[in-house]
Amino acid sequence: MDTLQVILSGLLLGGVYALFAAGLNMIFGVMRVINLAHGELMMLGAYITFFLFSQAGVNPLLSIPLSAAALLVLGVILQFTLVERVVNQPLLSSLLLTFGLSTLMMGIALNLWTSNFRSVAWSPLTGSWDVFGLAVSKSRLVAFGIALLVTGGTYLFLQKSTFGKAIRATSQHPEVAQICGIDVRRVRLATFGLGSAMAAISGSLIAMIFTISPEMGRMFIGKAFAIIVLGGLGSFTGAFIGALALGTSETLAAYWTDTQLAEAVAYAVLLLVLLIRPSGLFGRAGSGA
Amino acid sequence: MSSATDRSPSPAADADSTIVRGRPTPKWEPYLGWGYLVILILATGFLLWFPSSATAYSVSLALIVLMTISLATSWNYLSGFGGYTSFGHAGFFGIGSYTGGLLLHYERVSWIPAVVIAGLGAGVLALLIGYPVLRLRGPYFAIAMLAFSELCRVLVTAWDSLTLGGRGVYLPILRFQREEDGASAWDRFGVQVHNNQNYYAMLVLAIVAVAIAYAIGTSRFGLELLAIRDDEVAAQAMGIQTTRVKLTAFGLSAIFPAAAGAIYARQVGYIDPPTVFLVIWSIRSIATAILGGQGTILGPIIGAVVLTLVSERVWETDPNLYQVIFGGLIVVVVLFMPGGLIALLQNRGILPRSRRL
Repeated sequence: MDTLQVILSGLLLGGVYALFAAGLNMIFGVMRVINLAHGELMMLGAYITFFLFSQAGVNPLLSIPLSAAALLVLGVILQFTLVERVVNQPLLSSLLLTFGLSTLMMGIALNLWTSNFRSVAWSPLTGSWDVFGLAVSKSRLVAFGIALLVTGGTYLFLQKSTFGKAIRATSQHPEVAQICGIDVRRVRLATFGLGSAMAAISGSLIAMIFTISPEMGRMFIGKAFAIIVLGGLGSFTGAFIGALALGTSETLAAYWTDTQLAEAVAYAVLLLVLLIRPSGLFGRAGSGA
Repeated sequence: MSSATDRSPSPAADADSTIVRGRPTPKWEPYLGWGYLVILILATGFLLWFPSSATAYSVSLALIVLMTISLATSWNYLSGFGGYTSFGHAGFFGIGSYTGGLLLHYERVSWIPAVVIAGLGAGVLALLIGYPVLRLRGPYFAIAMLAFSELCRVLVTAWDSLTLGGRGVYLPILRFQREEDGASAWDRFGVQVHNNQNYYAMLVLAIVAVAIAYAIGTSRFGLELLAIRDDEVAAQAMGIQTTRVKLTAFGLSAIFPAAAGAIYARQVGYIDPPTVFLVIWSIRSIATAILGGQGTILGPIIGAVVLTLVSERVWETDPNLYQVIFGGLIVVVVLFMPGGLIALLQNRGILPRSRRL
């Protein structure tokens, strides 16, 4: 029963990871930019929820659309002014640029809000429900549900809508997409904005589950890499399954050994997958090396 | 090969195409090597003499500059010349700090062998992991090395019985303030070296790192690395043994951060996993090399001097602003001077387009 309990809690966490990684993955797919600042975008989302809750008493669930909208705008601005310039540049340029942005945002957050840990303790979501003898944490279940909704919605948007198809076309072959009349620049703007909004929502959800700090982004970005490499860089479904797998194996490792080693799981998975099957579980074979 | 690297030549590659600008190579270009030797002798002389007339603070600042030169120059071997962006320097720095630190903590060997063991050990480790990891290209290699560094940190933290885990390692306290009792100038110099061991060790390390960079930059081996950077498949087709070349560069580039880490551990006297495995060690190496000019010999040196002195000044005025300014600086360099200071001067015609730079 205990193991089942642990697996459940890991799966629920995995849903939030999936949402976070999906945004990162989408940005990479469309412009081949590894966004090292993705964790800080999440951190900003988390702080928006925290401050709206603690200063204005806004219901954390209601603050989610607000943090998503704010980060959507920020994402579009970042893409328009900075990231657009390093698309099609060597990998190092975009890596360094986004790392610079990440350090910049973390530095500003540390200056403004100090490195103290904070949390959103919203009474309706503290404690757990009892389901068939399993204790299901309320906040985790709600966060999982919302993450699932947003990830699923994005998936449908990418599959069904015209603009979603334009995004997928651009990620498959930018030049051909452009020839077909797709405004690739606009697609990139939308993608970075959308990816940032997804990071913000996952941040808001994380704020309800864990304590938050300006340095939280660095912790999650490593997990996100493990997830998208496991699922296959650029594969949406792969990343989702990868996230659930990582969430579960992490909590299991923490349960069986200790939390120190649980942290190693993400990186070990990442290295093993890269070495054995760089295209990931669901990626096209041969796309890696 | 990933499409990102297919599409675009690197900015440094542009800087290399000598013919484009049509400016004649100056007559003194072939003598640059000798010029360097003179400068090296003068600089070494100055740096040898420096601690005798400087405050302890200046000496420790100079030590950091020298360390940054080693870090950035060695990062440049594989990543600047070879184009394989590595985030592994933090991992090697941490491993070196811990190897050296633990050897001293358990009092197994004296400090010079400890530094050498740390450096060579990391070199061997790099050869071992390099064989599989260097098959990965572009973003995959970058992510793999990032994961390697983090994995090292977590494992060192978890392996409590050997590494003392998160509590960190205290190194034996250094007591070497010997009095200046020597009669001759030579004796006084001996005392000075004795009192500033770590500084002189870093000096030697930096000189060796730069000498290797010069050897790479002006040799056939360096050309092979450049060929790999520009087009690995073509390089292989031309008969370059790409695996051997990449492994050699990777092994060499791992030695220096590790040895520097061991000396650093001895200098600060206390190490723990979060500080020595910090991703910022990789970023500092990279940012320094980029600022000066990746794939050049002088670039990392110039970058190290500029970046270290600037960050020290910022740190002094406002430690909280440090990260903001450091992050902003990286953004500015990437956007406005992707080839670094060297390329900037070359484009203005102040410096010739020479492989000796």
